[in-house]
Amino acid sequence: MSVQITEFKPTVPSSPLLDFWRVFSRNRMALVGLVMLAAIFVGAVFASQLAPYDVSTSENITINDIYNPPSAAHWLGTDDAGKDVLSNFFFGARVSLIVGFFAAFISVVIGGVMGIVAGFYGGRVENLLMRFTDIMLVIPDLPLMVVIVALTKPSLLNIIFVIGLLGWTTTSRIVRSQTLAVKSRKFVLRARAIGAGNGHIIRHHILPLVMPLLVVNDILVISLAILDESTLSFLGLGDPTALSWGQMLNFAFGRGAMSAGAWWALVVPGFGIVWVVLSLTLLGHGLEQVLNPRLETHHLTPGRPVIRSEIPWRREKKKGEAPILLDVRDLSINYITEGKPPARAVEKVSFQLHEGELMGLVGESGCGKTTLMLALLRLLPAAGQIVGGGAYFTDKELTAMSEAEITDVRWKGISIIFQGAMNALNPVRTVSDQIAEAIIKHSPPIPRNHLDARVVELLDLVGIAAQHKDHYPHQYSGGMRQRAMIAMALACDPQVVIADEPTTALDVMIQAQILELLDNLRHRLGLSIIFVTHDLGVVAEMCDSVLVMYGGVTAEYGDVDTIYNAACHPYTQELLKAFPDLSNPEKRLASIPGYPPRLEALPPGCRFAPRCPAAFARCASERPALHALGEDHFASCHLVEVPS
Amino acid sequence: MKRYQYLLKKIAWSFFTILFVLVLNFLLFRVLPGDPARAGVRDPRMKQEAIEAIRIRFGLDKPVINCFESLNPIKVGSCTINPLDTQFFIYVRNLLQGDMGISFHSNRPVADILSERLWNTVLLIGSGQILAIMLGVAFGIIAAWKARTVIDYAALLSSLLAWSLPTFWLGIILLFWGSGHGLPIGGKATPGTSSLPFLQQWADIARHMLLPTLTYTIVYMGEYMLIMRSSLLDVLAEDYILTAKAKGLSTFQILKDHALKNAMLPLVTVIAINLGFTVAGALQIEAVFSWPGLGGAIYEAVVRRDFPILQGAFLLIAVSVIIANLIADLTYSYLDPRVQSD
Repeated sequence: MSVQITEFKPTVPSSPLLDFWRVFSRNRMALVGLVMLAAIFVGAVFASQLAPYDVSTSENITINDIYNPPSAAHWLGTDDAGKDVLSNFFFGARVSLIVGFFAAFISVVIGGVMGIVAGFYGGRVENLLMRFTDIMLVIPDLPLMVVIVALTKPSLLNIIFVIGLLGWTTTSRIVRSQTLAVKSRKFVLRARAIGAGNGHIIRHHILPLVMPLLVVNDILVISLAILDESTLSFLGLGDPTALSWGQMLNFAFGRGAMSAGAWWALVVPGFGIVWVVLSLTLLGHGLEQVLNPRLETHHLTPGRPVIRSEIPWRREKKKGEAPILLDVRDLSINYITEGKPPARAVEKVSFQLHEGELMGLVGESGCGKTTLMLALLRLLPAAGQIVGGGAYFTDKELTAMSEAEITDVRWKGISIIFQGAMNALNPVRTVSDQIAEAIIKHSPPIPRNHLDARVVELLDLVGIAAQHKDHYPHQYSGGMRQRAMIAMALACDPQVVIADEPTTALDVMIQAQILELLDNLRHRLGLSIIFVTHDLGVVAEMCDSVLVMYGGVTAEYGDVDTIYNAACHPYTQELLKAFPDLSNPEKRLASIPGYPPRLEALPPGCRFAPRCPAAFARCASERPALHALGEDHFASCHLVEVPS
Repeated sequence: MKRYQYLLKKIAWSFFTILFVLVLNFLLFRVLPGDPARAGVRDPRMKQEAIEAIRIRFGLDKPVINCFESLNPIKVGSCTINPLDTQFFIYVRNLLQGDMGISFHSNRPVADILSERLWNTVLLIGSGQILAIMLGVAFGIIAAWKARTVIDYAALLSSLLAWSLPTFWLGIILLFWGSGHGLPIGGKATPGTSSLPFLQQWADIARHMLLPTLTYTIVYMGEYMLIMRSSLLDVLAEDYILTAKAKGLSTFQILKDHALKNAMLPLVTVIAINLGFTVAGALQIEAVFSWPGLGGAIYEAVVRRDFPILQGAFLLIAVSVIIANLIADLTYSYLDPRVQSD
């Protein structure tokens, strides 16, 4: 078996050992492994004291002592030579552990040095070392060990060296990639810039960060070495003077334990090997989890149930107004982590989207925009939970739908254009295939050629030539991928399209093209769009209405003219100042100092207060309500409160 | 075009690795202590003439390799040794002709003995590997899908346990159990069944294969499960899975059409890297169950100090693993469209 370790991102804890122990002791797997290992260590060290019999002499042993079953005199029975199995077990632990630890030490030193040198120096040295590692990795090592040990004297020392000298390949590869990752870090570059020598950098900067990985790897290499030793011994290549567990099994198996029915002589030594290897494996896996914690939730982890509350009122459609497609009322979303208070990611946000309307959803990163959008399609990550309010799509309540019902709304009713289209498209399936898939899912069966025609039509709509349809996403440029994503979002003629920062990762020219495309499509197809962006300037030209979010709450909501010409909330005003005004090129651009609040540390009063240029005493202690300023204009700020 | 270059590079690299193994295999048996002739014929009462005769017969009287002077341009021609008459050249030439020497023990050509046995090993590894991969992948998918539930923890723990089992020991335990339940205690076929009709013959072989294959499956299934689980967990956290979910696809469709192929890719690499370990498992299983394969040949050769067999079996195993690795690499390039344009 190979040692599988994923590379981890080293962290530098404040008080390393103490912090480490705190996390470590919480990991049950690692703790159990450590205790199991400690137990066998005690057994090996105190073998002479613990063993009930002296196994070095054959005195007082008669033919009647051979393969005696477990009894009061011999708790675990006797072996083929009439010796006490329990006593042999303790001494065997010594041999197995010695071979395991020393061989692994050799392997890890060789692998570690090769990995660091290859990763650090790069170039031809790296090429040579890694090529050699590749070759050694391919050559099956157990047969090679067997050949070498068979050709040399089977002594403990030889076995240690053979296992050690052949077991470094995985270490070398893992250490190299870790060194490569560490090498380009800022503090290493800085150390180099101030003239530190290579030796100094390796010792003081690289090694400390590679060390944790080496330790985890070492633990797994030890377990492999113990398995290798027992196998060699079982095959008859062990040191005849040192009775290891493998040797015990070799003797028992080769000398009639099977036919004598002496299961104890076969089970006990094997149990020892399993015990040690399992303890090391648990410890290794536990340590890896401690050093490299990973979130084991994913997009298919079942979401948390929606907690609905009475919807206060639904806004009636006014005369002459386009029908309301989306009606979101007081929607609140929390992120729930065990052992921590819930993070209030979105709180009491309301908005309406009419047919043909384009709404801009604006705010800095981390203000809850994407969370709000994912909640509409009930696509929140496993930790996210809708905890209040509700959302309607036409006359159906999204927040009350079953999984099967919401599945029908997804893509056909509401579709999403995700940000960063590279990862949003599956790299191993062609673009046309991924578009066709959505159509097949949501429409009655259609013949293949109609499907192809529809895909070509969709791609044509976003300006991708038909000859590119069967390409894979990586063959597209960034802009093309974003266009393909748009084509995909339109595949089922959705009524609402959510564009979640569709232009973020693109350069300015392509951004402009994508925006123009979206605006065109909207008019041609009569789409309703929610455009999520942090760029207020972008929205100005296209939007009908704007919802500004800050720290999970509505800062200001109104039609586009009101927001641009009569913004009331200081956050909206600051955002407007942060973007260039083409009509007044002389104007200075201002950015808002600071960052949006972290969700787990929200300020007690107004969430914008710490950064607000107009904040006064009340803002720090009291949360402002959402005030209605006109028929369709709302802002949450104490400044706009109408004195009663 | 790019793809051809990739294939060529891989093939050339495998070829080079095989050359390396050839040289290694040659040197191991010449450099390490113990003159094969003397080690092979361990009897100290053997006469000097007899030993000489054996040395001549196995070509050990020839110089090991050409003398180094012949590589020096100034001294060209000063070397009296004919490079074509060295042990290394003869070794390579013989190998190219399929001649791997004569077994010390049975006096039969090594190539004949090993070619009979290669297929038995392929049969064992093949069926064990297929079962282990299928079950490992299936359990890995379930564990990842039900991540952090009781099912997941149980699967995780049992695969760590399976990892920790020494293959040969598990074989012994199963053999012990099986022999009490009427299963054959070893070998590939019951003696005297070779005259039976084809179907009955294979039924007999299948009965013999049951326990070795089971051992193999248990030992390797755990690792495939772990890799499948972690690989699938990574994939399921990718953005394109969210896209697939937003498209309204069902969990089953997402797993089948979007997650599996991506998650299987690392598995192909691991299967390739694992082939060496796989052989180690086969060696132990064959030793325990007296399965007449290459591993069994190695075990017997060690016991009998039959070095030509040992040398030949190691070479055959190493070359098979290298070629199997190459096949895995090529499969990967076929499965992952991104490889072609790298």
